[in-house]
Amino acid sequence: MPLPLAEFDALRARYPRGFESSLVLPCLRRIQELRGFVADPDIDALAGYLGVPRVQIEEVLSFYTQFKREGVGRWHLMVCRNVSCSMRGAERVLDQLSQRLGIGEGETTPDGRFTLSTVECLGSCGTAPVVMVNDAYHENVSVEALDALLAGHP
Amino acid sequence: MSGRKLLMTFDVTATSHTLADYRARGGYQTIEKVLRELKPGDVTKEVAASGIQGRGGAAFPAGRKWGVVHLSDGQPHYLCANADEGEPGTFKDRWILEYAPHLLLESMLIAAYALEVRHAFVYIRGEFDLPYRRLAGAIEEARAAGLLGAPLFGTDFSCDIIAHRGAGSYVCGEASGLLTSLEGKRGYPRNRPPRLTVRGLYQQPTVVNNVETLANIAGILANGAAAFKAVGTAKNPGTRLISISGHVEKPGVYEIEIGYPWRKFIDEDCGGVQNGVALKCVIPGGISTKVLTAAEIAPLTLDSESVEGAGSSMGSGGMIVIAEGTCMVRLLQVMLRFYHHESCGQCTPCREGMGWMHRIIDRIVAGEGRPEDLDQLLRISRMNDGTTICGMGDAAGYATVGILAKYRDEFDYWIAQKRSRYDGNLECRRSS
Amino acid sequence: MPQIFVDGRAIQAESGQSVLAAALAGGCDLPYFCYHPALSVAGSCRVCVVQVEGRSWVEIACNMPATEGLRVLTDSELVREHRKSMLELTLLNHPVDCGICDKAGECSLQDYHYKYNGQPSVSLDAKVRLTKYHPLSERIVLDNERCILCSRCVRFTREISKTNALGIQERGDHSLVRAAEDGSFDKDAYSDNVVDICPVGALLSRSFLHRARVWYLEPTPSVCPGCSRGCTVNLWHRKREWKLHALDPARNTSIERVTPLENPQVNGPWICNKGRDLAKVFDRPRATQAMIKGTPVELAAAVEAARELIGAARRPAALVSSWGSNEELAAFHAAFGARFASYVKDDWLPQPGEVVEDGFLIRADKNPNNAAARARLPSWRERGEHFAAGTDLVLVWGEGFDLAQVPTTAKTIRLDGYASADHARADVFMPISIQTERRGHYTNFQGVVSAFSPCFAAAPSVADAEALFAALVAVTESAA
Repeated sequence: MPLPLAEFDALRARYPRGFESSLVLPCLRRIQELRGFVADPDIDALAGYLGVPRVQIEEVLSFYTQFKREGVGRWHLMVCRNVSCSMRGAERVLDQLSQRLGIGEGETTPDGRFTLSTVECLGSCGTAPVVMVNDAYHENVSVEALDALLAGHP
Repeated sequence: MSGRKLLMTFDVTATSHTLADYRARGGYQTIEKVLRELKPGDVTKEVAASGIQGRGGAAFPAGRKWGVVHLSDGQPHYLCANADEGEPGTFKDRWILEYAPHLLLESMLIAAYALEVRHAFVYIRGEFDLPYRRLAGAIEEARAAGLLGAPLFGTDFSCDIIAHRGAGSYVCGEASGLLTSLEGKRGYPRNRPPRLTVRGLYQQPTVVNNVETLANIAGILANGAAAFKAVGTAKNPGTRLISISGHVEKPGVYEIEIGYPWRKFIDEDCGGVQNGVALKCVIPGGISTKVLTAAEIAPLTLDSESVEGAGSSMGSGGMIVIAEGTCMVRLLQVMLRFYHHESCGQCTPCREGMGWMHRIIDRIVAGEGRPEDLDQLLRISRMNDGTTICGMGDAAGYATVGILAKYRDEFDYWIAQKRSRYDGNLECRRSS
Repeated sequence: MPQIFVDGRAIQAESGQSVLAAALAGGCDLPYFCYHPALSVAGSCRVCVVQVEGRSWVEIACNMPATEGLRVLTDSELVREHRKSMLELTLLNHPVDCGICDKAGECSLQDYHYKYNGQPSVSLDAKVRLTKYHPLSERIVLDNERCILCSRCVRFTREISKTNALGIQERGDHSLVRAAEDGSFDKDAYSDNVVDICPVGALLSRSFLHRARVWYLEPTPSVCPGCSRGCTVNLWHRKREWKLHALDPARNTSIERVTPLENPQVNGPWICNKGRDLAKVFDRPRATQAMIKGTPVELAAAVEAARELIGAARRPAALVSSWGSNEELAAFHAAFGARFASYVKDDWLPQPGEVVEDGFLIRADKNPNNAAARARLPSWRERGEHFAAGTDLVLVWGEGFDLAQVPTTAKTIRLDGYASADHARADVFMPISIQTERRGHYTNFQGVVSAFSPCFAAAPSVADAEALFAALVAVTESAA
């Protein structure tokens, strides 16, 4: 998969001159959107395109929780288990999801449909419990709402 | 009605975030007035006179921060709105991004004018997809209307604003960590000196302000510092957006006039504690602020003097209501797990201390706690007090010291009995 | 030039200097891990904490500007308490496997622990387990459990060798120093310097791994002969009193490791990897036997034969070693300057795969003393490497020359330290001492003169070239 260079050029033009390094995060996000994760050739290509050391991209990939170097299931279920979500039932939600899908934290269902993870505070405490599915926040996810949540992600 | 409002002054509809609706409310008239009538230094003076304190958690006076930037020094200056909003319990900047993005943009233009900034950024945490799209949409509207990236109202002032997304890291909400992340690297906070207003983004003078702090700027310049000071308290003027969550009937974002009575806010405006259960305690402003018991908050008002007088802080405005019967040991366990997960690993006390504290509390919860564990937690908190590169080490310490100071008996109980004094569940019990 | 006060003592700082740098320069004894005078400030280990008089908190000294009149305390109760805490936390997850760690004896963590803490760990919890013996490159092994994440190695590859070959992966107490995945650390010609600057036993040289305890070794100052930069180095070898009786005697006369000898004029605190591998140069098989046309003889007989050849020669030429010391070159000039048509040869040329020249330390001239030699004599290479017609004697001193290049009509006298099958072709061959067996000086390409000292004694059958030159010429004059 070649890098979407036309897009990257346009993005680069928005940032001040000399800000190539700043493009590391936005470009990695875009690559991950297209491929599902960031592959080794992407690292080389991006390092070359931006003129940054390859090691900087490697470091960034392992520092930020949203970047992945391997694919996950079609739907990545990220359950917040921080304070307010736990206080509104997130621990039961996580437990239920794990039971229903038959997978533990960090695992993917054999059919590749769901990956289950836990995450820290998503900034949506008022509508706890919150489950982030790929890019979208699903709020007020009670145990009762799980059927609909899972059904809504074929 | 929790006092006068400065930000939530319009009805939220399907279009209230658009440029057209914002203009209809008088939007982008203030920046025009500022450009025609004031010099950059005058704007900073007005902001300083307003007395507005930062609303991200550190409460540093915005005008004083702006005043450090040397105008006409021939260097590029940068402005960055901190929309990382990672402090657990906090979700109020999101309200501004989703419903009042143009208010933020206009305020940033005014700030950019004051600080001689030509490129400004909004650093949004990576997980905030809808807020990002709302803001990016607003930016595109503004650009198309010639408000961003083009000379404004017949002057030679122009500024472009870029919405820049993070990728999942709490320390990128710390101003210097934010800038290092914005430079495309691991979000490592920086030692001071130098201050960011001297050497910030790519070592250029940079002002980082919380989204809510900035969102107030348009109002301050529209109505004047005196009008702003007339709201709130003398030492803490204006309003605060409070995100309230936990065991409360009506969680959400509320704007309160600073100085509003605390219990009244919880019981009347937010529907009181869930299920009619008695209030146990409240975390005032994000988990990094010290917990206060129901008895302690009874006489308090929501302003920095009152809350600090009780030994805590309004912090980021992320209020968490905790009902009677909630196990504080489990609550601290969740917090320490969070701090451990988020430690960037740069400096020794936080890197080693967070892991140690997490392991201790996990061991206590597993029934293998020892009496000396509690003093050890306090000791580790002290080792992180004022010794770290950024405030995260201190934050974990405040959370720990605060909970242990008020609820040590619960921890003693668990260590002795190898179980929670309550049922260990963090959800609100059914009834009192 | 701000004046600061450290524990009441006045210290002159330089403008822009940190309190830590000024205090260290002023002779104060302050602990630190992440600070290094040649690298940017990280300010992450938090061990160099001091207390500004009048303040009730501690601050790191490495990032504190020395301002006029600043007064700091390095030994107050508050400083001692916090410094002790920082050391305790540094050791919290440290494996403390000093018993099998090469750094023992020269480890800052050991030293500071005993000096500033001394207490055993109070943690009841298991230490974090990380990778041990991770191959960071072909040359360096990394133990992540011992690593205290001071980031000196990462900063080194960013700021000094500029390869950006190292980085930190993950975060928190699971952070791991790792090499860039494109193998650039293997190609970093200065990679081994990270072993020196690592304050603990996390980064270790694989060639030195478990070879010797450092307290059995002693350093001898020397000069690296790898190129004309002439970096000063320490050659480490077993102390005489710690000779290994039970093992191969060669272990008692080998270079165990090479480290930089700090030199502000030439190489600062660094050397390249070729300098690290000097054992490969010095520990090669030696020439120990004098020969006449390949037949072993006593040295005296060889000297006698050589004198006769020199006396009889009408058109003698000499190829001079660019590894000869200043003293040997002077002796050569005194002995043969008048009579011999002498040229300086490049004993060594760049080898395949070797860095030829870079913008840092490595020079294309792979010989240590061309500067001194060429001050007196012309270059063999520039001459086109051909002998004048009628040359009837060629004296070859040092390596890098095949006797087959000598005209068949000429006799040959050869002096060399290292064994070679080619030596048997010489009319006279005499073995000579190498750099590690004598005292001397080299002049580098900038004209800086550096000294080297002997590590070992030469074998009895091996003579110093300096003495031989004098011997060969003394008899010639009396014979004339």
